[in-house]
Amino acid sequence: MVEPPGGSPLRTAPPLLDGTSQSALFAFLSSGKHSLVCDLLSQAARGALQDELETAHILIDDTPVRDRGVRNLDPDAVAKRFPRLIHVSVLPFGASGPKADWDAEEVNLLHAGGEGYLLPNGLSHERFPDRPPLKIYGHFSQYQGGAMAAFAALSAVWAAPEVGGQYVDVSVQDAVLSVGAFALQRLGDGSVEHRSTRRFRYGGVFEARGGFLEILTLEDRQWAALVELLGQPAWAQDETLRDPLERSRRGDEINQHIRAWMSRHNVDEIVQRAQQLGVPAAKYRTPADVIRGEHERSRGVVAPLILEGGKQAEVLVAPFQFRCTPLQTTGRVPVLGERLPGPVE
Amino acid sequence: MSCTSAPLAGVRIADFTIHAAGPFGTQLLAQLGAECIKIESKTRPDAFRKPHAVYGRMTAATFDQVSVNKLSVRLNLKQPEAVQLAKRLVSICDVAAESFRAGVMKRLGLGFEELRAVKPDIILLSLSSCGQSGPDSHFAGYAPLFGAWGGLGWMTGYADGPPVEMRHVMDHSAGIHAALAAMAALLQRRRTGKAQHVDLAARDVASAMIGDALIQASMGFTPARPGNSHLSFAPHGVYPTKQPDRWLTLAVRSDAEWRALLRELAQPVLSNDQRFATAEARLHHRDDLDALLTQSLASFDADTTAERLQCAGVCAHVSWSTLDIARDPHFRSRGATTEVSGADIPSRLAVGAPARFSKTSDVGIRRLTPALGQDEDYVFGELLGLSSAQRADLQRREVIL
Repeated sequence: MVEPPGGSPLRTAPPLLDGTSQSALFAFLSSGKHSLVCDLLSQAARGALQDELETAHILIDDTPVRDRGVRNLDPDAVAKRFPRLIHVSVLPFGASGPKADWDAEEVNLLHAGGEGYLLPNGLSHERFPDRPPLKIYGHFSQYQGGAMAAFAALSAVWAAPEVGGQYVDVSVQDAVLSVGAFALQRLGDGSVEHRSTRRFRYGGVFEARGGFLEILTLEDRQWAALVELLGQPAWAQDETLRDPLERSRRGDEINQHIRAWMSRHNVDEIVQRAQQLGVPAAKYRTPADVIRGEHERSRGVVAPLILEGGKQAEVLVAPFQFRCTPLQTTGRVPVLGERLPGPVE
Repeated sequence: MSCTSAPLAGVRIADFTIHAAGPFGTQLLAQLGAECIKIESKTRPDAFRKPHAVYGRMTAATFDQVSVNKLSVRLNLKQPEAVQLAKRLVSICDVAAESFRAGVMKRLGLGFEELRAVKPDIILLSLSSCGQSGPDSHFAGYAPLFGAWGGLGWMTGYADGPPVEMRHVMDHSAGIHAALAAMAALLQRRRTGKAQHVDLAARDVASAMIGDALIQASMGFTPARPGNSHLSFAPHGVYPTKQPDRWLTLAVRSDAEWRALLRELAQPVLSNDQRFATAEARLHHRDDLDALLTQSLASFDADTTAERLQCAGVCAHVSWSTLDIARDPHFRSRGATTEVSGADIPSRLAVGAPARFSKTSDVGIRRLTPALGQDEDYVFGELLGLSSAQRADLQRREVIL
C-alpha cells in the first residue's frame, strides 16, 4: 500500500473506533497489507515506487486520469518501463469515455449504476413511500469495483505468460451496472424497474416479536412448508393458491395474513422452525450477531486483528475459503511507513 | 468457442450452477474468454428457463444475461451414468463450479475427492448460501436472506425504519467474489500443481460489505444505521429536483467543494448562514442543511445541475433509472452496455465487458443464451468422443434429459 506523506485519507475515514482516532474502515481494508510512504509528486521520492514496480506483479491505481502525468503513472509510460507489469486502473467512471474525468463518492456511484434508484424496496418503501431513494450501507458500489479490479487483475496475470504485462481499465460505475444487470435484462423484456414495484409479490421483510426476518418461497414445496409453519390456516387452504401465479396475483392479501401471524411470534423461534420445515428464512442480524455468530466462528471466518497501538479487534478474514490451504487468519493494521523502500524479504 | 485474444482463453469450466449467483460468476469468467459448459437437464434447468412468479415474471426469460457465452448440455444427474459422464467432463476441465446445498455434490458422487480422483488438479468452486461447513450450512437461501444473515440488510435502511432486503446485486456480488476466488485458485494451481476446493458462502460476502461495522461490533460498539448520511461529509445524500422522481445525489467533502456548490446554486439562504460555514458546523446542523438544500434544489433541473457541479469539482450525479443507463453514451463507449440480437431475440441491450484490457481485448459477449442441450455435438461428440448412436441411446434412457 503506497501512501502519501501523512498517510492515506482512509486512515481517518469514518467510522472511527470509539475513543480512538483509528478508522474502522481503514482497519478492515488494510489488514495484512504493508505500508510504504512515497510522495508521488516528488521526482526524487518517486524512485521508491519505481523500485517496487521492478519486482511487483500488479500495480492497482486509482489516480484520476488528469493527475497521472505529474505522478509518472501514465499507462503507456508505465508499460514502457515495466513491460511485465499488470497495471490496473480503477476509477469511479473508468479511465476512458466521456465521463472519465468525473469524480464521485459512494452515494453518487450507487445511483450512477442504477441500483440506488431502485432502493429501498419492499417493506421499507411501503412505510416511507415519499422519502428519497436510499443507499446501501457503507461502500457497496466501491467494493464491487474493487472486487472487479481484483478479478480483472488476476485474469491478466493468468494471461501474462502469453502476452506479458498489460493495462486494465476498471470502472466502479460499470461494476454497479454489472451486478445490477437484471434491471437492464428486464428493460429488454419491456419492464422498467422502480423501487415502488420491485418487490416480491409475497414474502419479504416481516416484523416479528424481537426483530425482523426475511422469508422468500420460490418453489411450491417451500410454499407448502410456509403454510405448515403458519399452522395450516384456513385462508391458505384455498385450492387456487396451489398455483404460484395465483399466489403472485394475491400477494398483498397473503402478506397481510403472514404479517399478522409474524407479529404474534418470536423471531428466533420462527426462523428455527422455518428452517426445519424447509422454508427459506433468515433473521436480520446485527453486526454484533454476525461477529459473535456460532456459524461464522465455526467456519473460521472471523479472526483477530491487531490495531495500531496493540489493541485487539476482530475482522472478517475473506468471504471465501480455500479448504486445501486455509488462509492466514491473524491480521494487523500497518503503521504508516513501516515498510522501508527496498527489496521485499 | 475459442477466442485466443481473451485473457482466459484455454480455461474450461464445467458449470453445474443454475441460479443467479453461480451463473453470474461463471458468466464473468466466460466474458473473459473461458469456455464454460453449462450442465442442466429438462428437470433441472437454469432458473431463467422457468417462470419466476414471485418476482412477477410469468414466463421464461427471452434473454438470460448470466448465460451469455456459455455452452449447454443436458445430464440427468439422478442417473449414475450421467454422473459418470459429468466426471468425464470434469476430467477435461480446469474448474468445476457448483451451487447445490452443502453435501449434495457428494451425495451425487461428485464431491471434491471424487472429482480430484478424475482430475488431480481440479479447482472446485462451491458457492452456497452458508458455506460447506458450520451449523447453518444446510440452510437454503436467496439474495435477500444472504443480506439478512450477513448483516448488510440490518445496516441498510432509514434510521427509523425496518432493515432493507438486498436484491440481485447481492447474488451478483457473490458471483464476482466467486470469479475472483476461482482465478486466485487457478494461479495457485499454476504455482503448485495442486487441486483446490473454494468454499464461498454468499452470506459472508454480505458480511464483507459491512467489514468496518463488524470491527466496531467486535470491540463492543454498536454501529449506527446511517441511511443516506455520511459521518464526515455534509451535505451528503439524495435530493429532489424540479422534475418528479428525478433525484440528485450529492457528496460535499470539503469547504472548497461547499463553496463551489454555493457558487453554482447561488442560494443566499445557504451562503449567508453561518451554521454551514465549516465542515464541522455543517455536520452538526446536517438536518437543517438538508431541509434548506431540499427546498433550494426543488427549482433546479437535475441533469444540468449535475453536469455543472461536476465541472465545478463537486461530486454529483442524477439517480439513474434503467432508461438513463440504456441511453448513456459513456457506458456504450466503454462496451459496458452492448446491443445484442439473435434469431428469436430482437435487438436489445445487455451488460458487456466487465473491464477493458489493452492486449487481451477480446472480452465481452460473443454469443447469447444457449438453447437447452444446444452444444452436445461439440461437448459429448467432440470432447467426450461419444458416437451419435451412444448419445441416442443415452437420450432414450433419459441419462441425457
